[in-house]
Amino acid sequence: MKAANGRLFFRGVHLRDKKSLSSAAAAEALAPVREVAIPLSQHIGKPALPAVEVGEKVKRGQLIGKADGYVSANVHASVAGTVKAIEARSDGRGGNVTCIVIERAEEDETEFLPPLNDPSAEAVLQRVQDAGIVGMGGAGFPTHVKLKPASPVDTLILNGAECEPYLTCDHRIMLEETDKIVRGAKYIAKAIGVTNIVIGIEKNKPDAIAAFESTDLKVVALKKQYPMGSEKHLIYVCTGRKVRVGKLPADAGVIVQNVATALAVCSAVEEGKPLIERVVTVSGAGIETPKNLICPVGAPMAALAEACGGIKDGAVKFVAGGPMTGAALTGLAGPVTKTSSGLLFLTAEETNADEPTNCINCGKCADVCPMHLMPMQTAFFTAAKEYENAEKYGGVLSCIECGACSYICPARRPLAQMIKTAKAELRKKK
Amino acid sequence: MNQTLILSTAPHVKTARTTKTIMLDVLIALLPATVAGIVFFGWQALVMIFLSLVSAALTEFVYYIVQNKIWQDPKGVCVKFLKQFDFSSLVTGLLLALVIPSNIEGWYMPILGSVFAVAVVKMLFGGTGKNVVNPALAGRVFLFISFALMMQYPAPNFGALLDTTGDVMTGATSLTSGLAGEGTLSALDLFLGTGVAGCIGETCKLALLAGGVYLCVRGVIKWYLPLIYILVTGLFAVCLEGFDFGAFLPSVFGGGLILGAIFMATDYTTTPKSTLGNVIYFILLGLLTAGLRKATGIEVVSFCILLMNFLVFLIDKAIPARPFGSVWKKADKKEGK
Repeated sequence: MKAANGRLFFRGVHLRDKKSLSSAAAAEALAPVREVAIPLSQHIGKPALPAVEVGEKVKRGQLIGKADGYVSANVHASVAGTVKAIEARSDGRGGNVTCIVIERAEEDETEFLPPLNDPSAEAVLQRVQDAGIVGMGGAGFPTHVKLKPASPVDTLILNGAECEPYLTCDHRIMLEETDKIVRGAKYIAKAIGVTNIVIGIEKNKPDAIAAFESTDLKVVALKKQYPMGSEKHLIYVCTGRKVRVGKLPADAGVIVQNVATALAVCSAVEEGKPLIERVVTVSGAGIETPKNLICPVGAPMAALAEACGGIKDGAVKFVAGGPMTGAALTGLAGPVTKTSSGLLFLTAEETNADEPTNCINCGKCADVCPMHLMPMQTAFFTAAKEYENAEKYGGVLSCIECGACSYICPARRPLAQMIKTAKAELRKKK
Repeated sequence: MNQTLILSTAPHVKTARTTKTIMLDVLIALLPATVAGIVFFGWQALVMIFLSLVSAALTEFVYYIVQNKIWQDPKGVCVKFLKQFDFSSLVTGLLLALVIPSNIEGWYMPILGSVFAVAVVKMLFGGTGKNVVNPALAGRVFLFISFALMMQYPAPNFGALLDTTGDVMTGATSLTSGLAGEGTLSALDLFLGTGVAGCIGETCKLALLAGGVYLCVRGVIKWYLPLIYILVTGLFAVCLEGFDFGAFLPSVFGGGLILGAIFMATDYTTTPKSTLGNVIYFILLGLLTAGLRKATGIEVVSFCILLMNFLVFLIDKAIPARPFGSVWKKADKKEGK
């Protein structure tokens, strides 16, 4: 179907996307790693409980972590081998996370779930839950929870905006796995009982738009504007509906799923393959050859850097995820998780990290805030520990933490960080 | 891997634009007006501008040394100072030179004004971004009040003051004579600044507007804010003159309105934070300027801006944030919230 032009949302920021570094590199499989450390908590909600013991032999795709409660997700072995340890390992961001460490065996035995043929809505939902699928855009909210909305929905939006600079993992799968994404979207649509499926893609990926125009999904071509991939903004530009403050997308009758999640759903339904691998973009000016790698969950990040030719001397910042919302890494000890969309090696020139200076009240943070908030007010009141005023004048609680304010600040003030502080303090009081 | 990694919260990339580049943009935007001032008023203007710039920068340097109590290691101090120097003092110094007349009898006046503007109005309050009022305007008003006689009517080319008779003494910028149709200057003369008396930088509106366009294109100021100020002033003056549209052009192009609107009133620190607040601020500013001009008969743009600077905090306090997806309060109640 011919792509329709998306609406525009007011404000937001235009970023240099730097996607050309890796957008032409077809997704390739990471060379087998010696061992993987699979975290039991790769999602929002309770960590999974270990379902295997140390010394046990596991097959690829076998359940090794069982979801603890409803808002939690299963974890599966991403390689076949022996469980070497269940211990706290570095998550690469300065914290520790309980991991199941599997040493890879030579023979690759797999144990997937039984494939489903023309499944019912309940069967799809059950499969999504069994396969441990979580939102792969970054938040990692368990998908089976999201697919049972409290209010009736009539539209499914596939998020192919990929508005973060550098990242091209969604771009590559949209090109390479177009049909599987479409089928995955249809399974999801069936599970939630809607027929209206829309896919939103930013205009800096014309080949992806063209690929989906040949399918029967409704394609919306979006302006390149950050944060176009934010759920609330994507809903607005695709359907014209606004998600009210404090409400969920389902309250506007919409469910948004990432294209990578749709792909995972398709694999889970048709092949019975749980969520054990994903495409990770390794990019930045600090890496030799930027690539898109298909990595097993739990693979050490150092292996990814090695597969891309190694780190250049000028790299001063390692980032897991996108440059706007990702996490800075203390090193490469951490594992790839279900939500790792990127691994970036940034040089000083790219980060522009300077010491913060006085706020000059230029208002640029408010000019770019997609939620129409007042970040400078929040920062002002947060510094004074007046969190109620930060909410009243800054509107902190509506912040989507996109980081546009910190990006644009000429005084280099850590606005997003102060907003997060204020949010945490306000939540504590409630 | 033996390298230092930077750790911080997201986002990890930042725009290349800093406070320094913004201030540099303002300096570039002021260049046409500066050149025009030097062309019109000669070497005296050049001396004024030079003294003002140098003393403004020196003031900040001395303040920096005193504040940080660094007495030894002069070279290290200079390096440190230059590293954090953001050109805002130079902007203050240049703006101050542009709003004083070129032939005031005293080379010390721009120096005094600059020292007051930078040390008292800006640095004592905490430096860039912390000043309550516009430093350059405060410096000008400080001189104006301190040296009333000298600043008053020293020569034909000080036209910021208006008189009721269209007297030669105050030069041809005279607003009221223009309004009465007695002025010998056409609107074009006022626009180009040819033969117009006034402060160094305020006479050539063409140069000021060119700078304003540059600032808008570079995204330093928002184009509609000075426009609101200028239009509201002009239109309100028209109303006050009994709907005589002949008063529009003289009141817009006369005096220091254009300079004030583009470079003074838009000063980030002394304007409200929200867009709505800014619109309110500039409308009020326009009304106040036209009203006070009519009431006092002298040029009051600098006083009006200073006055309004004190209202900024109140305007900010009156406007709560309204996030994307908000509903108006009434609708909230209907939904049973």
